Amino acid sequence: MQITVGVADMQVTNNPQAVLVTHSLGSCMGVAVYDPQVRVGGILHYMLPEASLDGNKSTEKPLMFADTGIPLLFKECYRYGAVKSRMIVKIAGGSQIMDSGCFFNIGKRNYAALRKIFLRNNVLIKNEDIGGFSPRTLYLQISTGKVWVKITGEGEKLL
Amino acid sequence: MMKIDIAHILPDIKSLPPFPEVTQKVIATLDDPEVGIQELVEIVQYDPNLTANILKMSNSAYFGFPREVHSLNQALLYLGTQNLFKIIIASGATRLYGRCCNGYILDQGELWRHSVSTAVMASVISRWLGVPDGALLFTAALLHDIGKLVLDYYVHDAFTEIMALVKEGNYAFQEAERAVIGIDHAAVGGEIARQWNFPDKIRLAIAYHHLESPEALKNDLALLVYLADLLVIILGANLGVDGLAYRGHPWVMKHFGLRVRHLEQLLALFWPEMQKAQEFFNLDFRV
Repeated sequence: MQITVGVADMQVTNNPQAVLVTHSLGSCMGVAVYDPQVRVGGILHYMLPEASLDGNKSTEKPLMFADTGIPLLFKECYRYGAVKSRMIVKIAGGSQIMDSGCFFNIGKRNYAALRKIFLRNNVLIKNEDIGGFSPRTLYLQISTGKVWVKITGEGEKLL
Repeated sequence: MMKIDIAHILPDIKSLPPFPEVTQKVIATLDDPEVGIQELVEIVQYDPNLTANILKMSNSAYFGFPREVHSLNQALLYLGTQNLFKIIIASGATRLYGRCCNGYILDQGELWRHSVSTAVMASVISRWLGVPDGALLFTAALLHDIGKLVLDYYVHDAFTEIMALVKEGNYAFQEAERAVIGIDHAAVGGEIARQWNFPDKIRLAIAYHHLESPEALKNDLALLVYLADLLVIILGANLGVDGLAYRGHPWVMKHFGLRVRHLEQLLALFWPEMQKAQEFFNLDFRV
């Protein structure tokens, strides 16, 4: 059973039948977290680095931003019994257009925002597939914790 | 691969499903300030599918009218000429965009979704900049990738060579199309616009939407379509194998007085607008 995670959206579940999937990660980031002991997992698909960009959006749409979305993803997993020290984190996205002057580097900024938050909170990234020109689809299988990405024209890759 | 020129693809353009006559008529009048709502009504009223689409869109979240619209006359009153133009043209374009593009690895409907996204983004940008958010920009944005419908076959055949240039040669996708096939999808789109008698402003915005000509830098419509397309591409939805392999030109930012932070604000504004625009994907395909 596939559960789709939209843009500026997250899904957390412990349903062993579920595969979480989020499509069209361009400059956006997909964050997949999983606690293998209680078999709880979630994916967040955020669009932009910081909610301070727009005061209203951060309360209306906290999942649109890294700094408001990532804490919500972890908190939701804790509700299902996940424990931070056991959680495995894998990320994908942050693609870039060809940009010589860093005027359009939203993908890079999205990635930097996540690194900053994880560093501050002692969260390690187990594996990642970042950057490049290709949009990605990110999958998380709840029964096994398996995470993989699909890239148009290139096929699938295990993370 | 043997390189081709515009003349070579003319038969391919002729074999495209044509725009409905109503739509062609309406597009031809887009740049004519004299055209009033009465003339549009006369074109529309005998077309039941178009009427149905107008009512559907009038009641959609995108236009957001305060009460339900039941009749064509009521709809026209609320919508006004520019919005009416947009609905008629979008209705006509759905049929054209109905198919897959195997060369670009776009599933059925994905090019249409990208096109509508670009049109919605163009509206968001123009409102943000305080420039007119009219049907001319909407149409140019909606039809900017029309050349892909024709070039698709050639991209399919030249796939390996194009991808090698993009991946190893630092070519933008349309630069690789030109290097391998001899022509790119923007130029093909411009030719389609010529064959179909689109107003020059729209034809040029389509032909220049990757800013390959120095003329493009003086063309505000082309620059807006370029920026809208680029921001939609950056987000990553409904892209084919060309993905994000397009160039960001810093002087576009300078031209419109934009910074990275502004682009992020535009993306944040775009997303809820796009949710409201879903009714564009339920337009009637029949004509």
